[in-house]
Amino acid sequence: MLTIKNLHASVEGTPILKGINLEIKPGEVHAVMGPNGSGKSTLAQVLVGHEAFEVTEGEILFDGQNLLELEVEERALAGLFLAFQYPVEIPGVSNLQFLRTALNTLRKHHGQDELDAPSFMKLAKEKAKQVDLSPDFLKRGVNEGFSGGEKKRNEIMQMLMMEPRLGILDETDSGLDIDALKTIANGVNTLRADNRSFLVVTHYQRLLNHIVPDVVHVLANGQIIKTGDKQLAMELEEHGYGWLGINEAEAAG
Amino acid sequence: MTLAHKTPLTPLDDAFTPEGGKQLPAPLKSLRDIRSKAITGMALPNRRTENWKYSSRYLKLDPELAPQTQGTGDADYRSVEGVYRLVIRNGVVDLDSSNLPSASGVDIRRFVDLDDVAAQSVAKKLDTTLDHGTTQLAALNTARLEDGVLIRLSADTSVDKPVYIQYVTDAGASGSNYPRVMVEAGQGSKMTLVEEYISNGDQPVLVDSVSELLLDDSANITYIRLCMDPANVRHIGATGVKVGANAKLDSHCIGFGGDLRRHDLQVRLEGQGGYARLNGIALTQDRQHYDNHTAIDHVVPNCDSDENYRCLAADRSHAIFNGRIHIHPDAQQSHADMNNKNLLLSTNAEIDTKPELEIYADDVTCAHGATVGQLDEGSLFYLTSRGIDRDTAATMLSMAFVHELVGQVPLEDIREAVNTRLTDFIEASFRRAAE
Repeated sequence: MLTIKNLHASVEGTPILKGINLEIKPGEVHAVMGPNGSGKSTLAQVLVGHEAFEVTEGEILFDGQNLLELEVEERALAGLFLAFQYPVEIPGVSNLQFLRTALNTLRKHHGQDELDAPSFMKLAKEKAKQVDLSPDFLKRGVNEGFSGGEKKRNEIMQMLMMEPRLGILDETDSGLDIDALKTIANGVNTLRADNRSFLVVTHYQRLLNHIVPDVVHVLANGQIIKTGDKQLAMELEEHGYGWLGINEAEAAG
Repeated sequence: MTLAHKTPLTPLDDAFTPEGGKQLPAPLKSLRDIRSKAITGMALPNRRTENWKYSSRYLKLDPELAPQTQGTGDADYRSVEGVYRLVIRNGVVDLDSSNLPSASGVDIRRFVDLDDVAAQSVAKKLDTTLDHGTTQLAALNTARLEDGVLIRLSADTSVDKPVYIQYVTDAGASGSNYPRVMVEAGQGSKMTLVEEYISNGDQPVLVDSVSELLLDDSANITYIRLCMDPANVRHIGATGVKVGANAKLDSHCIGFGGDLRRHDLQVRLEGQGGYARLNGIALTQDRQHYDNHTAIDHVVPNCDSDENYRCLAADRSHAIFNGRIHIHPDAQQSHADMNNKNLLLSTNAEIDTKPELEIYADDVTCAHGATVGQLDEGSLFYLTSRGIDRDTAATMLSMAFVHELVGQVPLEDIREAVNTRLTDFIEASFRRAAE
């Protein structure tokens, strides 16, 4: 589904990713772990096309398409979804209006009829319930005044609505208590399917107790230095990143 | 070489001060003649005229704009439900197309139908709400008076539906018109007044409109001004309001840019306990212009004013906001809050904003803020990362910028209509920019 070959990316001339190779097959959940500053979030942002990052070398194929040639919105329509680490607040645009526009754009792209307001509301309420988000949030501005946890729930709620081919979670677990973590993990797990994959970026192993990965990669200094199964995450939790010879302070640059 | 040589004075062409007003009652005809004489050959504001500094370059009063605009016969009044409609076509009141309230306490009359006594009373009050030093072209309106509307509310009269004035300009041929409205709101009266300017045809035309509102004690007037006609309509408008004790003005001025768009809103808080809210939205695109000049005079103690204007300028357009607050020496315990936020939608657009505070009393609170910004890239990225195309995302964010002010328009039907028209306007702008 996703093939990343020798990916190099930099921000304002500073190289962050230095030759990433990664292959995600349909139905797989891959975790990318690594110390702060290793390039985990950069990888997530580059995949969805954040323009602050310049891809200097390598290629990304998504379902055979050259992802780097697609605009941000085209990548989303192709089936990419990023649950942001820090979702922005957009006062004046209601969650409802935003979600409905997004969902109907996607439906149109797939040749489906747009959802009318009542059907949309029904669906949105159902998905909000799945992540324990009160329907009142739908009327508020996008993420406006949401707590950290509410923002993360809102991201997963959007993912449940959009049903992407590849869901990318960027440190979705950060700042969450255990109940919220479980709720969010449950939301993600209901989406798991043979034709849908996930890339879970996280610093800690604990999220991976609930979203069990098929493959775990360790990213350090812009490169994947080790790949294994879920055991690898547990060993990292036990021994720390130092176990792999990574100096966290150095890796963070 | 002196500066004067660089900016030669352009006199108002004589074509703009023809004979006329023959149907007016004598006192109004007399006022017309006085104004006409006073402005004959007057120098038009130029870039050294402070209150036209940014706008004089759009002020081209070519003689072809002088003739009165004429009806083409194919009336195209946008239908509006649930209102009393008053049509002013090419500056002339069209009672046949209007639907006026019949309840007692509301008196709506054409100037040309006033008897001499009533006309005398109106003539005394006309032009008294505006500062003539800063509304030079309002005098042109009085000098070209052919008709006008007097709306009088008796004490404690509440008009059950909005009075909706549609100003229709036939722009099939070049010309100009000079609509005039005078509202006298008696003690404790209540009304929503909507002024909508519409136009058909594509020739350059000038609308020079003046509306004056006199709010007696405890009167409550909601004023909604929709200046959204196409760009070929050059519009110089002035609205003057006097607010009496415990009276309330709730003003919402919403407009699109054009070849020339100027609105002066001047509010005088003349009775204690008076309140004025001034909201405004101006959108410009292409090479359009919009200039909002507001002035709030706190003349007496214990009055409040809240002002919130927002401008969005796209393409190569030019938006201007000038907000003056004048707290007079006696006006202790005044509270004035002025805010102007601006959004530049293109690097080629220009926005000039200038708060002007003159405070002569010491026990007052007076806050002001002005910002100019651009669409937030982080928000654009967030929306597009959900599959929404960039133009739609930019439109959503632009509408978010005026969301609060649109939400404060008190009538749902008008609010919805405004929302749709603003969205369409912004969408068109992004579409053009993308081409």
